[in-house]
Amino acid sequence: MTTRVSRRTLLRATVATAAVAGFPLPLRAQAETFKIGVIHPVSGPLAEPGQACRIGAQMAADAINEAGGIKALGGAKLELLLGDTQTKPELGRTEAERVVSLGARMLLGSFDSGSTAAMVSVAQQKRVPFLVDIAAADPITANVARSVKEGQQKLQYVYRNFPTGSSFGRKAVQYFTEIFQEAGVTPKRVLLMYTNDLFGQNQSRGFLAAYKAASPPWQLLDEVISWPEPPSDLSTEVSRARAARPDVIAPITRPASAQLLLPEIARQRLDVLGIVGPGSPGLYEAGQIATLKEHLEYVLTSVPWPNFQNPRTRQVAAEYIERTGGKTFDTNSGYSYDAMMLVADVLERAKSTDPEAIVEAMRATRYTGGLMQYAGPVVFNEIGDNPNAVPTMIQILNQRPVAVWPKDVARRKLVFPRPKA
Amino acid sequence: MTWLALGGLAVLAVLPAVLGPYALSVFINILFYAYLGQAWNIVGGYAGQLSVGHAAFVGIGGYTAAVLAAETGLTPWVGMLAGGALAAVLGGVIGYLGFRFGLRGFYFVLLTVAFAEVCRIVASNWERVGGAVGLYITFTGDPRQMQFQDDRAWYYIALALTALATAIVWGMERRRFGIYLTAIREDETACEALGVPTFRHKLGAMVLSSFLTGLAGTFYAYRYSSLQPGAVFGIPLSVEIVIRPIVGGAGTLLGPIVGSFILTPLAELSRAWFGQGGWHGAHLIVYGVLLVAVVLFLPQGAVPVLGRLVRRAAP
Repeated sequence: MTTRVSRRTLLRATVATAAVAGFPLPLRAQAETFKIGVIHPVSGPLAEPGQACRIGAQMAADAINEAGGIKALGGAKLELLLGDTQTKPELGRTEAERVVSLGARMLLGSFDSGSTAAMVSVAQQKRVPFLVDIAAADPITANVARSVKEGQQKLQYVYRNFPTGSSFGRKAVQYFTEIFQEAGVTPKRVLLMYTNDLFGQNQSRGFLAAYKAASPPWQLLDEVISWPEPPSDLSTEVSRARAARPDVIAPITRPASAQLLLPEIARQRLDVLGIVGPGSPGLYEAGQIATLKEHLEYVLTSVPWPNFQNPRTRQVAAEYIERTGGKTFDTNSGYSYDAMMLVADVLERAKSTDPEAIVEAMRATRYTGGLMQYAGPVVFNEIGDNPNAVPTMIQILNQRPVAVWPKDVARRKLVFPRPKA
Repeated sequence: MTWLALGGLAVLAVLPAVLGPYALSVFINILFYAYLGQAWNIVGGYAGQLSVGHAAFVGIGGYTAAVLAAETGLTPWVGMLAGGALAAVLGGVIGYLGFRFGLRGFYFVLLTVAFAEVCRIVASNWERVGGAVGLYITFTGDPRQMQFQDDRAWYYIALALTALATAIVWGMERRRFGIYLTAIREDETACEALGVPTFRHKLGAMVLSSFLTGLAGTFYAYRYSSLQPGAVFGIPLSVEIVIRPIVGGAGTLLGPIVGSFILTPLAELSRAWFGQGGWHGAHLIVYGVLLVAVVLFLPQGAVPVLGRLVRRAAP
């Protein structure tokens, strides 16, 4: 006798299977886990870098857990409670509340400064230590430090391991000075060009302030050229640049504007010693190099960069490629990876899950295991920022981005001035 | 009906006692967007003048309070009113230009969007108000600076604002002003022929709506701790403001509230559900599909349908 499967039975079975498969089984109660809220913009306009951050943090947590978890907490495993801000400040706050109500005892995030600022309130209000992995706006930590200093808040729960807008500027001016010195030139007509959005203004402001403070031998032109992002055409801006007769162009771009700016500079044949960016996306990513090809050759830019001299960095970068199906281990994944490793380091020293103990251990941090390029161990100053989180000057050589400055981390010798075409 | 409304209010008033911190945070968002939707409802729903630039008033309100607090130490509680007043002035200007020159339909939409964009660009380039980097509010926990150690305070502010706006709309519905607005929405030419001062009433609706929306700006600035031109003047926020009353029922008293009670939890639940499993962005698809479904199957919004169901159940 054959058993007939009727349409209805099949339908029922399918629905039942889907229902079972669709609902995750409750996680088996483990001995003890330490929950961390990991919040990034994994959907919405900044989904690409946000996802890179999330994967970086997950890889680090996996590595920590495989190595036996947090030994000082009896081998407690790290359990990540993932959140998505969609780059909306209100979701930064809501997601932080959500993960804290699910038991998160630390927060990590969140890439864009608006959502990060919204999370700061939750951290301070609920006494949850918050390590900012990426976000450059200075006030995020500075505001909290001030309110603690003025006695409005008892303790600072917010720390950041990422260059701030002003430190980006200081480092860029320093690298410019050193690179020009190395090349034996003193440009008198350096032209700053920037994309006029949150990021571009933050960067250009930091760069100009640092330039004024340092008064280096090379000189910036008074004229500064900016454009709204995304631009539809930059030929007028480049004509203006040409008229200013610059000897170095310092562009702060986004990927879309870099794709217009660099070919236009070549088309209008600006005769410059080189293109040296004070720090921006658009000048080094694999996709950009594939599109812009020779226009990016010899371009220099100051960006947070993984320290590929460290064999551990190369190993993690290889794992990252495998895990993401070919994506590059970069600023975003790298800083989030380091942040999670820092959390483990802090917990090992805190030997407790008490927020005050964690903060105390955070303040005493001297971590040297970072995969990114630092100017020294990870430490936190009185504002809660790591002064050793610095960018690296990279250059596109043979269509690959490589670290060229500071000298001790250079993987290749820098080429400046660029060869005449 | 009045008893039902008061009952609802009473339930909302005692709700924080049973809500956990996350649920409380979701309810704050629900009420905040319900309030924004209700403020928009006056001009967009009742008067039928589709403004898709209401974010401009949120931004003006928030920036005014934050700048006053930073530069003169004025408490945001007063700054909030100043922000509302300035937003009302801008609303008056937009309304005057739009209604004086008879811009209707898409032309009025474009006018409102254009003003919001101009505000965004001005704020992005004005160093004094932080430029594109924006303004960051320090968390102090001091109620005089509209900062609270306990989130329930935010809940009650949002509830009070929503109740206030709903009471205003309720009163408006019963007065000549509200009836004129509805008449203007239904047939403006006929209204004019009957001697209804349409210009004055439309302008009044715009000013009232922008004042209330301006108050929300201060709430936004202090609750979410920062103001960035893209976030508070941008089109996405304007759309968030408009879709709640549309889903709930534009031009109905409870439409914006019902709309917010449908959309905000839906966005939350789908994000929490799909986000954890690594389905990035799936919640946006769910959200979008639901919006399309509402527009296709409930073009009048949820409230008229709910009203019919209630009447059928209890004739």
